Amino acid sequence: MTLPMIPTSVVGSYSMPGWLERLKTEYFARRISRHDLDEIHDNAVKAAIKDQETAGVDVITDGELRRDNMMDYFLERLPGVQIDRSSKKFYYDFYNCSVQGKLPMAPLGVADDFRFLRSFTEHEAKFCVTGPHALTKRIHNEFYPSEEALAMDLARVLNLELKELVKAGARVIQIDEPYYSGFPDDLTWGVKVLNALVEGVDAKIAVHICYGNRYGKPSWEGSYRYLFPRILEAKVHQLTLEFARRGGEDLDLFREFQPPFELGVGVIDVKTQAVETPDMVAERIRKALEFVPAERVVAMPDCGCFHLPRHIAFAKLCAMVEGARIVRKELGR
Amino acid sequence: MILQWNHLPRKSSAASAQDIVASLQSLLEEGCLEQEQFASLCVHLDWIQYKHNFREAVIVVPCAEEKAGGPPFFEVHVDLRQAGPGALRTAMMQALEAANSEIGHPPHPTPKLDCLALEDFQPFRTSIAWRFNRLYWQRLAEWEESTGRGYEEALPGGKSDANHPGAVADGVADFWTLVRDLEAKQKLPAELYVLEIGVGMGKRAGLWLDRFQKLDQERGTNYYPRVRFLLGDYSPATLERSKAAVRGHMEQCSFVVLDALNPLQTLSFLRHKVQHIHLTNVYDNLPDEEMARRDGRLYLVEVRAYLPTGEAERIAKEFELSARELPRCIERLLEVGPEHFADRARGMGFWQQVWAAMRLEERLVCADDIRPEELPEGLELNRLEAMLSEAPSDVRFHVNSGALESFRNTLPLLSTRGYLQVQDIFVTRWNEYQLGFHGPGKLDGSIVNWVNGALLRETAERAGYDVHFAPFRYREGSHTSMLYTTQRE
Repeated sequence: MTLPMIPTSVVGSYSMPGWLERLKTEYFARRISRHDLDEIHDNAVKAAIKDQETAGVDVITDGELRRDNMMDYFLERLPGVQIDRSSKKFYYDFYNCSVQGKLPMAPLGVADDFRFLRSFTEHEAKFCVTGPHALTKRIHNEFYPSEEALAMDLARVLNLELKELVKAGARVIQIDEPYYSGFPDDLTWGVKVLNALVEGVDAKIAVHICYGNRYGKPSWEGSYRYLFPRILEAKVHQLTLEFARRGGEDLDLFREFQPPFELGVGVIDVKTQAVETPDMVAERIRKALEFVPAERVVAMPDCGCFHLPRHIAFAKLCAMVEGARIVRKELGR
Repeated sequence: MILQWNHLPRKSSAASAQDIVASLQSLLEEGCLEQEQFASLCVHLDWIQYKHNFREAVIVVPCAEEKAGGPPFFEVHVDLRQAGPGALRTAMMQALEAANSEIGHPPHPTPKLDCLALEDFQPFRTSIAWRFNRLYWQRLAEWEESTGRGYEEALPGGKSDANHPGAVADGVADFWTLVRDLEAKQKLPAELYVLEIGVGMGKRAGLWLDRFQKLDQERGTNYYPRVRFLLGDYSPATLERSKAAVRGHMEQCSFVVLDALNPLQTLSFLRHKVQHIHLTNVYDNLPDEEMARRDGRLYLVEVRAYLPTGEAERIAKEFELSARELPRCIERLLEVGPEHFADRARGMGFWQQVWAAMRLEERLVCADDIRPEELPEGLELNRLEAMLSEAPSDVRFHVNSGALESFRNTLPLLSTRGYLQVQDIFVTRWNEYQLGFHGPGKLDGSIVNWVNGALLRETAERAGYDVHFAPFRYREGSHTSMLYTTQRE
């Protein structure tokens, strides 16, 4: 599948419709069955695929509409993670969970969701996996001697799942590690864990690091400077960072440290419902091109579109696609 | 018949309560009430009204939708603190007859409520009462001049709890701790934004800044120069008046005209940047309405403002008008103010007398028939029903549409560690509605109403905040409490 120069992609989640939120919550209240919810998810995912295709996004996802949130989708599949099922009132709430023994190796079964996506699109498809560092922050550790040890074992289990995804045809896998920004000191071991996670995984690996998007608001503030130079040791192909909301000041780090990665540059602010114009998007891409060659730039939203109303999310994706087209045309590509 | 007798007044009310039961029984025996109607009556003795309010001591609220095959059902609300023993039977009979007539139910066709209606039935938030409230705030200085007392003097305690030095000092200490923590984590921003919405005379802002400056000096932290204190109010005149109270801190202060319903609209450039936002007695003065759940169904309480005929005639006579001319004259008052009268002092008098006499009648409308756009912005019926899973089965509650709107449009201003504090009169848990229902009151020329904190809590959870309530412990007998937010995981 040939992608254009400055391809467009999404970070993962697509707009979560209000009706789907209600139905997910109905499931937790035991008012609809798992079978019905699965069918509802299938239909919602098809609609998300169609929206991304119609907007003209080059590399798409399943919109992560099966996920209650970025954590529980993985945590409730991980054998050895004890889930307190009573701890969730609204579907988006996090489960309280703990680890009381060594995590066994077992497949999580998320590759089936990738296969579903693959079977309904001709576009390049990407699958997003919440990274071990982020998952560790949501698990009450009652067994491992340190967070690092728990994260390393999570990486061992998830590595198997990444390989299953590759077997299912995944060529682009994105690891989501937003908690790096909240716990910058963890990066000393975070990168080691990240490398263990992707060891031997034959796919393009992107790592998404933002400042949080829980409830559509930032969880932390600061500068991406904390990533450098440690992140240069990461065995990944693409860094996906948030620039639209925060401004492009940190782009200078790419000149200073010359990382070898592609840059997934955030050109859409997902924390406001104001829809960017294609010209605004083009300007943000041009800014990134001052620091990274066009061959290594991918245009993306800052983070998932989960909290945006669907018509806003769609309009933003359209603006992103059009903005990328403007810049390509300027570059004669 | 269900007699809901939850509120326990401080003064003995046994005689009044017995009078109610006896009155209803006699009305049944005399045929003023049908057997079936009597059986389905729901009598609430739980009303807690302000001294100056909008309701008679006894009101009967009909349901606009008839139950299948049966007669319409009524709710009877009685304020035992206002109802004089001996007068209950008459009041109840008149209210029942009027309610029967309102929904066109025989067998006692009597004239409708003896009154001059000022509007059609509608949700309270759009009632003419709120236009009076708006006029009051626009013409506050004139009202104060006319009555000879400031609006704070009209408060139950005679002054605002917002300005209590102890409360302000503790609030400042909390903020200082937050700032110190930010510094410890090397996250101290160059500018620390603090926003107060609804500033009154600026007293609280002045006290806050005095205290913060002093604390900062005592501890040698040098945070004060970073503070950017925004005083926000929709009245430029109020902002102007507040300047005197903060004159020692003008370098730190900005004065912003904003709508409390949508601060984000004015301050969008501060989205996710404000460390602390404070409001005192703002939510209780924003448009609201009420709903009820009865036998598992939701109803909207619709109201209609009216003047009792006797009062209408008296006011008309005093101002040399016919009663028929009154609605038009009131409309002009609300459009142009007391200058509608050639003699402005007479205009003020007219305004105050109409306001004092104005009452609200009520009816229940089944929420099944309500279009989504008729509900307060951001409130969906199915979400409300989900929230009510924690409420008593039969409950009447506030839907503070204005407070909800303000709340939703304020939270996005908060920074990642920022917090919102709202000091007001809150119903903090759904179950509190079992212990009495506080109706809206008149505070001088403005409206005051209790705020459904439980509804705000649910709204906040969806926006990523947990909401907590702490009683205001600085003044004995205060009914206010403090809402504060924390980040939700």
